[in-house]
Order: sequence, then C-alpha cells, then structure tokens
Amino acid sequence: MALEICWLDDLTKAQETARKVNKPILLDFYNPQ
Amino acid sequence: MGAVTYPDERVAKFLSLNFVPVQLQSSNHAMMQKFAVSWTPTLIVLDADGREHYRAVGFFTPEDMIATFMAAKGRWALDTDQLTDARALFEEVISGYPDKEAAAEALFFLGVAKYKLSHDPKPLRETYEELNAKFPNSTWTKQADHYRLIGK
Repeated sequence: MALEICWLDDLTKAQETARKVNKPILLDFYNPQ
Repeated sequence: MGAVTYPDERVAKFLSLNFVPVQLQSSNHAMMQKFAVSWTPTLIVLDADGREHYRAVGFFTPEDMIATFMAAKGRWALDTDQLTDARALFEEVISGYPDKEAAAEALFFLGVAKYKLSHDPKPLRETYEELNAKFPNSTWTKQADHYRLIGK
C-alpha cells in the first residue's frame, strides 16, 4: 500500500476531503534536497 | 522521512487510513510563513478548518511515527469533541507502543478523555499514578503532578 499525498495546490481540497471523511490533515513541510 | 519512514508499508498504511496527507516544500515561503515553520521536517496536524492540533519537528522511525501520530490523531479527536474515538486512539497507543514516549502523552490525554466522558475527576488522579509508575521522568508526568491531589 503506497502513501497517497495531496500536493501543495490541493491544500484547500485537502480540507474539503478532511471534512468529508472526518479525518485530520497531516501537513508535512519538507526539504527535497 | 522520504528515504526510510514514508516508504515503510506500516507507515504508509497507517497514514493513508488515518490522515489526509499533504506535503509542502520548504521553498514555499508563503506557506512556511503562514504556519510559522522555520525548520524541516515539520509535521503539523490540522482539522478541516485549518486549526492546528499538533506539531512535531525532526525525523521519526517508522514505529515512532505511527505511535506519535496515533496520539496526535487522538489529540485532534479530543479537541473536536470526538471523545470516544479519542479514548480508543489513546488506548491503542498505550497498548501497542507501551515503551514509546507517545505512550506517556497518550496516558495523559486518556485521563482527560475519561474525565470529559464521565465528569468524574478520579481518572485524572489515576493518570498521574500510572504515569509516575511507568514514565517517572516524562514531562507528561510532571505536567500531571497536580492531579495527585485530587480526592485527597
């Protein structure tokens, strides 16, 4: 099972999803280097 | 996190089932500023309204990741008044990861959830006693210290 990530532009969408599925959002700030 | 923890099957399954995961690069200065993030990795648990319920900085092993963020989800459930769910999550951390620091946090908030569900302060004192026995050096034990006076 792979981890599915909603990317940056989807933060608003992630909030909508979170409301719909009653789950919290895990926001991960990371350095890709 | 991307090299070891996220590829771990248990972590991927846990996060996919329990969270809506979002990644933001540190080059996104607007979002770094908005959430007052100054170092990576920073992991923040938000609710659907964008309110923050938990924050952690630094790297996690797969087991620590699951234990810590199961407790963090419990904090979200507690804050959003889903008390029965919060109690179940804290109990799962305590039974599944008894030696992790997250278990001390879960124990602290299990007492809170039980108190909110019952309006009986006794679980708070029991929380302190259990914390003191199992995690004498934890900051959660110190933060629960005043509960020992309940009912005395």
